[in-house]
Amino acid sequence: MTTKKFIKKVFFIEILQGLALTLKHMFSPAVTRQYPYEKREAAAGFRGLHALVRDKETGAAKCVGCGLCAAMCPSQCIHIYTIEGEDHKKVVDRYEIDVLRCVFCAFCVEACPFGAISLTEHYEYSDYAKDAFYMTKEKLLLTWDKYMAGEKGEEYFKKFWRPMSEDFIQKIQNAKFMPTCRHKGG
Amino acid sequence: MGTTKYSLNNDVKSGSLATEELTLSFGPQHPAAHGVLRLVLQLNGETVVRCTPYVGYLHRGIEKLAEHRNYFQIIPLTDRLDYVSSMTNNIGYCIVVEKLFGIDVPERAKFIRTIAAEMSRILSHLLWLGTHALDIGAMTVFLYCFREREKFIDLFERLCGARLTVSYPRIGGVRNDIGNNWLEDLYKLTEEFPMRIEQYETLIDKNRIWLRRTKGIGVISAEDAINMGLSGPLLRGSGVAYDVRKFMPYSAYDKVKWEVPIGKNGDVYDRYRVRMEEFRQSNSIIRQCIEKISSGPIMAQAPKFILPPKDKVLTDIEHLIHHFVLITKGAQTAHHGEIYVATEVPKGELGFYIVSDGTGKPYRMRIRAPSFVHISALPKLCEGALVADVVANIGSIDIVLGECDR
Ligand code: SF4
Ligand code: SF4
Repeated sequence: MTTKKFIKKVFFIEILQGLALTLKHMFSPAVTRQYPYEKREAAAGFRGLHALVRDKETGAAKCVGCGLCAAMCPSQCIHIYTIEGEDHKKVVDRYEIDVLRCVFCAFCVEACPFGAISLTEHYEYSDYAKDAFYMTKEKLLLTWDKYMAGEKGEEYFKKFWRPMSEDFIQKIQNAKFMPTCRHKGG
Repeated sequence: MGTTKYSLNNDVKSGSLATEELTLSFGPQHPAAHGVLRLVLQLNGETVVRCTPYVGYLHRGIEKLAEHRNYFQIIPLTDRLDYVSSMTNNIGYCIVVEKLFGIDVPERAKFIRTIAAEMSRILSHLLWLGTHALDIGAMTVFLYCFREREKFIDLFERLCGARLTVSYPRIGGVRNDIGNNWLEDLYKLTEEFPMRIEQYETLIDKNRIWLRRTKGIGVISAEDAINMGLSGPLLRGSGVAYDVRKFMPYSAYDKVKWEVPIGKNGDVYDRYRVRMEEFRQSNSIIRQCIEKISSGPIMAQAPKFILPPKDKVLTDIEHLIHHFVLITKGAQTAHHGEIYVATEVPKGELGFYIVSDGTGKPYRMRIRAPSFVHISALPKLCEGALVADVVANIGSIDIVLGECDR
């Protein structure tokens, strides 16, 4: 054992170094948040609780009941019931999401061809009863009013509704100038 | 041994009292078992005579579930394999499907994936370091690790809206593009991160208690490691320089410079060193990727497998029909065939084996999970060692039961 090693061993040098580090941290500002009192903002586009988009003009849900979100949902937690309305129109009677089964993958947003469903930045929705997590159409629309109404909702679909043409290469962007198969087939 | 020594009983003194082995059930709810792992330990005093791992407490049938979902819908399932680094699982899965269907991923998406995967590796190793140190008795490291973890997770949140179960990569690319702000913030983080690694090392690297608890414990020879099918830091800790990223490069790993850190003795300490070195390598890979990333598309041009762009869906009937068919029926033009592709996840080699019968859903999906293989090494590591070392061994093989049980 060299003298250096001996000194290191006897005087607990490596442990003192560690202690010095922790001591230094005592005087640096705390990085923890006191959660219920100090809330952190979720990042834009956070995948939180669902909301059904309310049409600005009509005030009703934008959803037409095509069922694509339900087909895409990997945990099969979206239930859509449609009925025949006036003029033989398809009307969404019930639109329900079982939030407790949802995995928050946002595939429903991706699947919806109309931009009628979104995920909000709201993530604090704990409750005592299971029913509170069974979202009906009305509840989902209220969530939209509460968290996404106005500009925020529009921004959301601009930014997080994917894929968009710019994600692909040029060819698709030029697609509109090309004859489509509809014309070819006559 | 313990009982005979301290008992005043005459029978014991003469050695005629029968002693028997103690069966200790460790887990499945033991905090040091890193999940729901159950070990049945046969003890002779403090020495482990036999160690039998029981797995399956977290079995969710992911492989079976995958048979009933189209290729797109499986992505969130892979999040829940190794939930500590869901990004690498997603990427691994997407790469397999892309290979199977011959989809070329654009350059930018490859770089984004590499950055995300390395962030995920750092995240996973940070969690490992924190909990491993906590198991062995160093509390401070745990707190420091979580401080950095939070920063990386915040970046994930800004990237894709989720913190742990990211579901970010898509077949043929990634979900959304990354902004320059995001890259800048990440670059800043990688600047300070090496200093943080040094801090962890100051705390434990030379600490005599840490050395006593890790050096020479749970030794696996290189030969044994290969024979048992170990991979990742376990294999490299035993001195075998095998890394899928190096030997079968995917994403952008062949475009950056990095090294495969290896250990020498194959003990708990060497595995710890390998992972600490991987922090630095991952950090440098991220930096190089940020420097090299160029603009361009982030989605492959493969309309038969990829959802059409939303702006077209709203205006163009062909794209709309395409959208409907892809979502309700899956990719109808999937080829027949089977494939196995492995990727390097933080825990080791994660492989997906997919049999496609052309229906848009996999006919069979089998997952080669590193954790499952690594648990099979536990008896070898623990038998003959002390009870206290069982915890060190479990920590050093870094298992996630979600991946093992699937
Ligand atoms: S976020 Fe995913 S799991 Fe939840 S409802 Fe939408 S598609 Fe289903
Ligand atoms: S995909 Fe959109 S429009 Fe269709 S049912 Fe779902 S939310 Fe409504």
